[in-house]
Amino acid sequence: MPASTREKSKPETGQQTGVYVYGIVPGDVKLNSGVHGVGDPPGEIRLVRSGDLAALVSEVDITKPLGTPDDLQAHQEILDATVTDAPVLPSRFGAVLTNEEAVAAELLDANHDEFAAALRQLEGRVEYIVRGRYAEQALLEEILSENSRAARLRDRISGADPDATRELRIQLGEIVNNAVANKRQNDTRDLLAAMKDHCAASLVRTATNEMDAVYAAFLIEVGQVGELERVVQDLSDRWRGRVELHVRGPMAPYDFVGNGG
Amino acid sequence: MTVMQSGGSRGPSPTGLADVIETILDKGMVIDAYVRVSLVGIEVLTIDARVVIASVDTYLRFAEAVNRLDISQEKEGLPGLVGGMQESGAKHKTRGMLDAATDKLKEYGDNGRERQGARRSRREED
Repeated sequence: MPASTREKSKPETGQQTGVYVYGIVPGDVKLNSGVHGVGDPPGEIRLVRSGDLAALVSEVDITKPLGTPDDLQAHQEILDATVTDAPVLPSRFGAVLTNEEAVAAELLDANHDEFAAALRQLEGRVEYIVRGRYAEQALLEEILSENSRAARLRDRISGADPDATRELRIQLGEIVNNAVANKRQNDTRDLLAAMKDHCAASLVRTATNEMDAVYAAFLIEVGQVGELERVVQDLSDRWRGRVELHVRGPMAPYDFVGNGG
Repeated sequence: MTVMQSGGSRGPSPTGLADVIETILDKGMVIDAYVRVSLVGIEVLTIDARVVIASVDTYLRFAEAVNRLDISQEKEGLPGLVGGMQESGAKHKTRGMLDAATDKLKEYGDNGRERQGARRSRREED
């Protein structure tokens, strides 16, 4: 990854507004009027077209901070609403260019071939997130039943003075923590194996909660949604009482563009 | 957006703003730093829910949770593993983009807990 160009250009003196870029779509996309995006007041969503590409944009006041919950929701909702009709390359939150001419010339024209190729690959494909959380009690019982050392430690701290058994508690907790990490890895492997023939691509997301069991993004054909639902239902049955699974989507393919993550 | 829920009904649904943040601040196409303009507020957005980091606090909390268990009925082990890990990564990578935003999205562990939200150190109107 190039890391040498972190400097950002400063806004020209006196510039009050910029053009917020949500994402890139094919040039033949049509827009409903009256949809508003980020900022205060929210700007109306527009299309900046150049050749066979277009950018979803809205005007923002660059002298005001951006990033309220409403801003974040608006960014994602606009992209997710688009992806069911047309392929979209979603921008990461916070991309603002000087004006619409810059969007056309410096963004769309300058990267035309890569954007066009990426959009062709994404045609008819959407992202779904599958996330599962462990039921804590079932998980801990499972770990104790499998790990005799953990079970012995538990017996030793049971009913004992917490201060006197602090070291034992730390040992027990560390065993449990490592066991959870192993289970997460194994369960994630099972999910990916089950989805293998039902997606175009997959990406494991980093766990952000200690009770995360699985957390992965899948790029699937629109027609594969039923297969995804069957896979999740099968795993849900298999893990009943142990892991609660949630599916989110269809979403824009955030996990499958760019160089983030 | 369709939300399909499966399985049991324990615990709150892990959707909402935290999911949005993990998606649109951490994922998506990063637009070249050269063509961007500065935007007030974005630089100070941070994600502090990114990574689970284990600590002594986590261990003690797990130990306490174990200590509270009623293990009169222990369960059988899990079924064996299936298949091989497939982590295909970002296949449809759009090249030519610079990762200008990542350095602003600092990653914090919070003693293994999840904090749901972005933190903004200066959010007031100028």
